[in-house]
Amino acid sequence: MSNLLHFSEHTLQEVALVLMATVYFLRIRWFLKWPLGKERQPATGLGDTNPKKGERYSLGLIAKPWAMESTRSKPFMYAQFVVFHLGVIASISLSFIIPYGPGLLKSAAFVSVIQVLVGAAFIVGVMRIIRRISNPYIRAISSPDDHFSLILLTSWFAFAFLAAPNDISGGEGTMLTYFLLTAFFLMYVPFSKISHYLYYPFTRTYLGRHFGRRGVFPLRRKPAYQVSK
Amino acid sequence: MSSTKNERSYKAQKVIDRMGQKLNRQMVGSLAACVHCGMCTDSCHYVLANPGDPTFAPAYKADKIRKLFKHHYDWTGKVFPKWVKAGSVYTDEELHELKDIVFGKCTNCRRCTVNCPMGVDLATFNRMARGLLCYVGIMPEGVEYVAKEQWEIGNQMGVLKEDYIETIQWQEEELQSEMEDPTAKIPIDKPDSNIVYVINPREIKHDPRSILDAAKIFYAAGEDYTMPSEGWDMTNFGLFNGDDELGGAVAGRVYDKVDELRGKKLVISECGHGYRSTRCEGPNWAKKDITFDAESSVITMLSYIKQGKIKVDKSKNPGSYTFHDSCNNARSCGLTEEPRELLSLVVENFQEMYPNRAENFCCTGGGGAMSMAEYRPSRLKSAKIKADQLSATRAKTVVTSCHNCVDGLTDLIGHYKLGMDVTQLVNLVANALVVDGIVEENKKKYAEKEEVSSGASQ
Ligand code: SF4
Ligand code: SF4
Repeated sequence: MSNLLHFSEHTLQEVALVLMATVYFLRIRWFLKWPLGKERQPATGLGDTNPKKGERYSLGLIAKPWAMESTRSKPFMYAQFVVFHLGVIASISLSFIIPYGPGLLKSAAFVSVIQVLVGAAFIVGVMRIIRRISNPYIRAISSPDDHFSLILLTSWFAFAFLAAPNDISGGEGTMLTYFLLTAFFLMYVPFSKISHYLYYPFTRTYLGRHFGRRGVFPLRRKPAYQVSK
Repeated sequence: MSSTKNERSYKAQKVIDRMGQKLNRQMVGSLAACVHCGMCTDSCHYVLANPGDPTFAPAYKADKIRKLFKHHYDWTGKVFPKWVKAGSVYTDEELHELKDIVFGKCTNCRRCTVNCPMGVDLATFNRMARGLLCYVGIMPEGVEYVAKEQWEIGNQMGVLKEDYIETIQWQEEELQSEMEDPTAKIPIDKPDSNIVYVINPREIKHDPRSILDAAKIFYAAGEDYTMPSEGWDMTNFGLFNGDDELGGAVAGRVYDKVDELRGKKLVISECGHGYRSTRCEGPNWAKKDITFDAESSVITMLSYIKQGKIKVDKSKNPGSYTFHDSCNNARSCGLTEEPRELLSLVVENFQEMYPNRAENFCCTGGGGAMSMAEYRPSRLKSAKIKADQLSATRAKTVVTSCHNCVDGLTDLIGHYKLGMDVTQLVNLVANALVVDGIVEENKKKYAEKEEVSSGASQ
């Protein structure tokens, strides 16, 4: 292994992670400085829910595609969401496994699992790029950051797919690109919309608390009463 | 154009400065968290009724507000403005363009809110944006007019106190004649009552029948209630124009009157935004904790039937009925089951509308849209979604628990020639009332009370 690849796998990643963590810390600190809107009113609704229940439901919606009309009516979009995010987890894990636990990649089955996950995420990424460009609604709301983040992630998946076997016998180019992309990704993320997951627990918790207090979450779709004859 | 402060109009600068005072963490989360996934797009009736026009998409509309936030309050927008679509406003014309979006292209129905995987609550910051524009005097004429009436006269339709009292007295006479009981009363400012009943000024101006119907129900239940002579308007234009001060003042008038009368419970007649404003948002705006119970009249009527205080006969309401959930009732206050249960007790044939409850579509007259004449054509175009929903039920009558929805639905039913009637639960409950024996009983109670009070005065 060349010094450059060793540097990219270790020092560069560590520096990028520290930078990401620092910007995240600043971002959260900035966010928490905004005053939290308080609600004074006594609860509404049937009394079978409360702010805590609303919070749990709201946070759990990510795993309940049937609960929201938007995900219920677009199961394919929801499946894409799952595949894409599993790919992100696999690719990030790979960036730790290669330098710190390469033994795991001796298993062909394990490599295949990683490749299936990032490969599928790559396909979804390409579909999402096409959608972002061709769908007039999505195009109209897209910022340069949206396009760039998506292209960045999709390319990263492609290189993660190629890097997964951890084989540099044919040259270090692929591995080097994967780690350079990972470092860039880590440093870019806090400034881009990819950092949405930082806000996610907050937005969903606040909304869940609000709607739980008002008896709206969990969303009701069936009668909660006996129909009299 | 460069972004120096000097080049910005006075009003634009005020809007930006005020935004910083109005933002809270929930709103900042909603402004920062959107990933532009577009999952909310189809949840908006404006989008569905204007296929191919992305300017109606919730995220597109939200970005017109978000860009200001990013440019002035979020550091990513300060560092890379173009990259994240941050931008500012410089001229009054731009503020007017924003007005057409926040008032004319969104009814704050929150349907996109419950469909956003990220938990972005566009309607809440859209209301904030309305408030910023109203602060600098940029708003639809109708909104300005109504808000002024509510600030100055104390109710949103400019009803004078004499007219209000006269209408109540007129309905009291109607009650006496319909019940054939000259002792039947609609009390005004009666202290220590169980219930203080507040209404929508529309009931005084256009629908006094609903006051009479409510009075019949209270009469049949033998309720000890009163209507207040002041602070009786439970509607609140502060919800629509984003002015928390107005919201607090209007709700505060109601709360103060209940306190003054030492009422035990505040009952709010059927109105979505009135219920939300008085029951939910009012204490926040008025910065006041309410010390009495407060509920929708739907809950009151249902409890009367369940407790056997009134008897109803559903065969008195023949025909087929469907129910329209007011956005404010259903999506912002969780009032979805009580109206249905009540309806099931007073009509024979109920057809559910789909989607319903918190997933229901707006009547398209929400968010104060009925007072914005300039947006009527686009409102009625977007109403096609509701019209399709209504006609799919094949019901003859649509029931709703909101005066605003009554107007919105009536307008669209006329426009799309659906030939349906619109009514409220109070009308159906009053119509289904079984009053046999009640009149005699109430007359007896009245005579006993008179005897006691004349005995006490001797
Ligand atoms: S508001 Fe929510 S659903 Fe709509 S584009 Fe933004 S993140 Fe997606
Ligand atoms: S709040 Fe309602 S009207 Fe406004 S954008 Fe969302 S869905 Fe559309």
